Amino acid sequence: MMGMESMGPRLGLLAPEMVLFAGAVLVSVIGLSRSAGMRRSVPLWCIVALVAAAFVSVETWTQERASAAQLLFPSMGSFVKPMLALVGVLLVLPGIGAIDRGVEGAIASGRQAFDALRVMRGEHYAFALFSIAGAMLLCGASDLIWLFLALELVSLPTYIMVALGRGSRKAQEAAVKYFFLGALSTALFLYGFALIYGSTGTLQIAGIRDAFAAQAAGPGIDMTGLAGLCLAILGLCFKITAVPMHFYAPDVYEGAAVHVSAFLAFVPKVAGFVALAVLLGTAGWTGHALIAADGVRVAYTGLPEPVAAVLWMSAVLTMTLGNVGALMQRSIKRTLAYSSVSHSGYMMIGLIVGAPAGINALFFYLLCYGIMTTASFAALAALERSGEEVDSFDDIAGLRVRHPAVAWMLAISAVSLVGIPPMVGFFGKLALFMAAFESGQVALVAIAVVNSAVSAWYYLRLAIVPLVAPPSARSATVVSAPSRWPAICAVVCGVGSVIVPLAASRLLQASERASEGYGAGSAVAGDESGPKGSGGLYTSRLTRP
Amino acid sequence: MTLAQSIPTATVSESMSWVGLALLFPLVSAVLCALMAAFRFRGKGPALVTAIALGASFAVILRAYMTYSGTPVVIPIFDWIDFSWSGGGTFKSFAANMSLYVDRLTLFWMLFVTGLGTLITVYASEYMESDRGAGYCRFFFGISIFLASMTALVMSDNLLMLYLGWEGVGLASYLLIGYYYTRPSAVAAAKKAFIVNRIGDLGLALGTFLIWSNYGTVQYDTLFAALSSGGWSGADWDKSLIPYLLMLGAFGKSAQIPLYVWLPDAMEGPTPVSALIHAATMVTAGVYHIARMYPLFELHPDALATVAWIGGGTALLAATIGMAQYDMKRVFAYSTISQLGYMFLGLGVGSTFAAAYHTFTHAFFKALLFLTAGAVMHGFGGQLDIRKLSGLLKVPGFRIVGWMMLVGCLWLSALPYSAAFFSKDEIILAAFINGDRAIPALGWIALGTAALTAYYTFRVWFRVWLGPVRYEPDPVEMAHMAAAHGADHGHGDHGHDAASHGAHGHSASHGTGHGHGDSHDFHPHAPRLAINGVLVILGIGAVLAGLPNYLVMAGRESENWVQWMLAGSSAYQGAGVPGGDHSHTILGMDAHRAMLLLGGCATFGGIAVAAWLHLFSRASADRLRSALLANPLTRWIPLGAERKWLVDEFYHWVLRLPLWIGGQIMSFADRHVLDGALVNGFGKLPLALGRLFRPLYGGPLQGYAVTMAGGVALVLAWVVWMWTRGAH
Repeated sequence: MMGMESMGPRLGLLAPEMVLFAGAVLVSVIGLSRSAGMRRSVPLWCIVALVAAAFVSVETWTQERASAAQLLFPSMGSFVKPMLALVGVLLVLPGIGAIDRGVEGAIASGRQAFDALRVMRGEHYAFALFSIAGAMLLCGASDLIWLFLALELVSLPTYIMVALGRGSRKAQEAAVKYFFLGALSTALFLYGFALIYGSTGTLQIAGIRDAFAAQAAGPGIDMTGLAGLCLAILGLCFKITAVPMHFYAPDVYEGAAVHVSAFLAFVPKVAGFVALAVLLGTAGWTGHALIAADGVRVAYTGLPEPVAAVLWMSAVLTMTLGNVGALMQRSIKRTLAYSSVSHSGYMMIGLIVGAPAGINALFFYLLCYGIMTTASFAALAALERSGEEVDSFDDIAGLRVRHPAVAWMLAISAVSLVGIPPMVGFFGKLALFMAAFESGQVALVAIAVVNSAVSAWYYLRLAIVPLVAPPSARSATVVSAPSRWPAICAVVCGVGSVIVPLAASRLLQASERASEGYGAGSAVAGDESGPKGSGGLYTSRLTRP
Repeated sequence: MTLAQSIPTATVSESMSWVGLALLFPLVSAVLCALMAAFRFRGKGPALVTAIALGASFAVILRAYMTYSGTPVVIPIFDWIDFSWSGGGTFKSFAANMSLYVDRLTLFWMLFVTGLGTLITVYASEYMESDRGAGYCRFFFGISIFLASMTALVMSDNLLMLYLGWEGVGLASYLLIGYYYTRPSAVAAAKKAFIVNRIGDLGLALGTFLIWSNYGTVQYDTLFAALSSGGWSGADWDKSLIPYLLMLGAFGKSAQIPLYVWLPDAMEGPTPVSALIHAATMVTAGVYHIARMYPLFELHPDALATVAWIGGGTALLAATIGMAQYDMKRVFAYSTISQLGYMFLGLGVGSTFAAAYHTFTHAFFKALLFLTAGAVMHGFGGQLDIRKLSGLLKVPGFRIVGWMMLVGCLWLSALPYSAAFFSKDEIILAAFINGDRAIPALGWIALGTAALTAYYTFRVWFRVWLGPVRYEPDPVEMAHMAAAHGADHGHGDHGHDAASHGAHGHSASHGTGHGHGDSHDFHPHAPRLAINGVLVILGIGAVLAGLPNYLVMAGRESENWVQWMLAGSSAYQGAGVPGGDHSHTILGMDAHRAMLLLGGCATFGGIAVAAWLHLFSRASADRLRSALLANPLTRWIPLGAERKWLVDEFYHWVLRLPLWIGGQIMSFADRHVLDGALVNGFGKLPLALGRLFRPLYGGPLQGYAVTMAGGVALVLAWVVWMWTRGAH
């Protein structure tokens, strides 16, 4: 149980979340103001809250507080929280001018009186802040209940955002799909949590780690615990759009407004990966062994073999199905949805490699991914065709002629998503694949590299169609969105994809905080006695030479 | 093999970071030029900004030179890439930071790169003035980008940043060759330059990869340390591949066999570009790279011999082609290829000093030659055909241009006691007598090439500047300019295909009706201050380039300045003057005396033949050509040389056509098999599957839920199975 003595440091660590909650309340009130100017300032206040949260998260984080809070990854928040807040600022921009467009237009022209029940800009941004705050809370989770509540705080607002973001029936359908399937995934990981509790007798994450370590040193983690872990992983796969829980992604991303899709592609994913890192951290990447029928222990490095196998298969299938799926799309949003699936596959490699190198690389990749995927979604949000979102390759053919900046940003983000140097995507992949290679995951790296090559097929189409293809009849009627902010966001992210790599070294160093201090407070040291060697089918790949 | 001497290790100096300004200034100027283009600026601002930025850059380098302490310095600008990891049991790292490596070789190269860059920018401010507006901004943007990239290339402290600069200069070259992008020939030339360079760049990239995988670093400092200690056993095939791959990159950038074909076509660019990028600076990047990597080449004698043979062969081949071209700029382009061949010959026979010195003198006189050719074009309606220009020295306003071109021609012909004579002499001398690196056969080839050089150089000068006054504007160019600028005075750069002029052009230019004033309302446009001033400065520079040697001869200095500059750098291995002790002999004479005699004979012999055929008795040149053409046994000589020995055609049939056919097949496969059958087919697959399974689920939502649940069930079953097999 959490004692009073740990309350103080923990509150200090939660300061950024509190700032975001305050911001969310403020934004939802301002959003109901009768003054159109005040309502227009909502995104600004949202950005102020996020920047303040980023600032506070850096300022209030101290080593003492983090270690007193008894977290599995005590320093993870000091990298993840600023990253969430700063990418969050970028995610606010594409929605400006799109939310409440019809209602605000009617009010401005006098066709309709202001009605507090019909404007939802405040709600939208408040939910966005709540969701980001939830993702931040995950970094401080010290027990499974907290983990569960924080995950729900990430997800519930996003269901509403999908429904609110766009007035069409498609968005409603997407929201309903997303909600029901999300509820299914919640049920799954909650059941997993229950099984873990059954196996270890505690909800405290540090306690679970100690219990698992004790089991691993003895007869191995028991069936209940392993099943619990696997169920929880599968449930969380929904958040990160990984196989077998990825089916919803193309439908939901396509149905949601494009700025909401951008949000879905980043924030729930960060939340899912933080939760997965914490859960897998309880089992740990060391101290496991195969126990043969004659009782001989063969120790190996890596996750418990069943867990490793599940993640391994899921990672391979996720990147492959994501890329193959994207190959077949005619809709840009669906292409980007599948691309988001495949990137999750790459990032799962980081989970398999584990702390410290794999987890660091994973969070560095998330940052890179956030920048480049936001660039592509924002570029789409910067355009429209007869009041509708731009969503087919025909719409962007020859875009260079009339919308050169947007066309270039789309191309840059696509090239970066392939992972071509010197773009930010290259450095993300480099760090991730290098960590995997170093830990002996050669097969996984090879599969990921082949997948990257395959992905060039559709990403380069996204780069070539706007730049090289002749304008089509459809693309001739594409105009800029009413607000310039989505285009500005696209330019910032696109230019960022080129410039951020200049600081690659420093960012990589910063990302090392993600796993700094992991395993420091472990009570039971892993028993490394007995013959070492390759384990089973999947852990053989985990064994260092 | 190990290195003969160890290389001084560099010290890290944060306090010298102001040297980074040399890189920053051209970048800022590029941004300003782009902004001026965006704001539709129509004045001479871009030229002014670029000239000031490059001048400031030159000043920074000059100050760095003044304050240089004598040991190499690494100047960190900021950290870019710095990875380290342990793999396969050993610790590895990949560091390529934005840092500058400053030693005398760097400073030497940067001094003439920034200095000439500034001068040529001033020249271009007048030369390009008819394009004021977007084109003017675009031009100076290209020049700024070029200078920034060239600075990165020369000053970087690691091979990755060098590669970045290498690609940057390639891009600038592409953009500027294609400056007149409405002209198909210019677009084709730009593409050709870019694609041919890609082949070389692939070699450079692979070489860099191999250097990293063998020596674990791409930073010069640590690489040189590894080379001094590690050496090379001869058994490591991948190590012995490195110099050949680097060489390929150098041959691409510096237009050597087999990758030289892009440079003559690159003359489609505006003349200041030809002078700056395609004569004086960018094309010497290959020479710089090999000089910089000399400690590595040092370990591979066979690679150095290859460099020497390629260089000597290119020098000869290009000279023979240059003898038969009618386009002034093309002649100079082939002479550039030929002179670059000399530089590689110098590197290959172990004298980096001779190569660097020739680079230095060549930069001046070749820039001078191109700029004088540009002034002629600028003044005579884009005319470059030496058969249609004659006696221009008598045209008012062109006297300075003519005399300056004479200086350039004399220097290119290696007039004894001129700067270029000293540098070329050093190369040939090294080829004869430089210890076990010497390849005397190449010395004879280089001497013969020197005679050919003198001939083709003065063929141009005698034809264009002496004899009866006769000129006409280029009709194609005039039509182009009239269309583009409303009959404004025309200039620009029009590449001629010499072969197409072979049949009719020849007789026409010697017809009777082509006298002065042939094209009625055409008036030459004499150059003004910016052009004449720069020409005179470059002429003085070309003369002064011999100063290092004059000072030695006068006993004021103990060694050549360029040699002193190289001696303190990583390229010092080959910096010693061969035969300095007068113990070597050629044909029984003291080596230096023999070179003076042989070189003088080659130069004056070439000039004399040119004077006879192209000044005193021009008819005999035609007679000689007709005689050669009439004899079936000698027909191939003039025809082959005029058609550039059919190398372009050879590449077309052997490389381009098969690649084109392959490309068509790929494109067909892409459209009909991949895009058609696979993508569209697969695209229909989910729909078909959906239709198949819909009755089962009753809707997509339930369908997804059932699929997810099925996946979870499968996974769980699998986990249980694994657990029962003993995996925990």
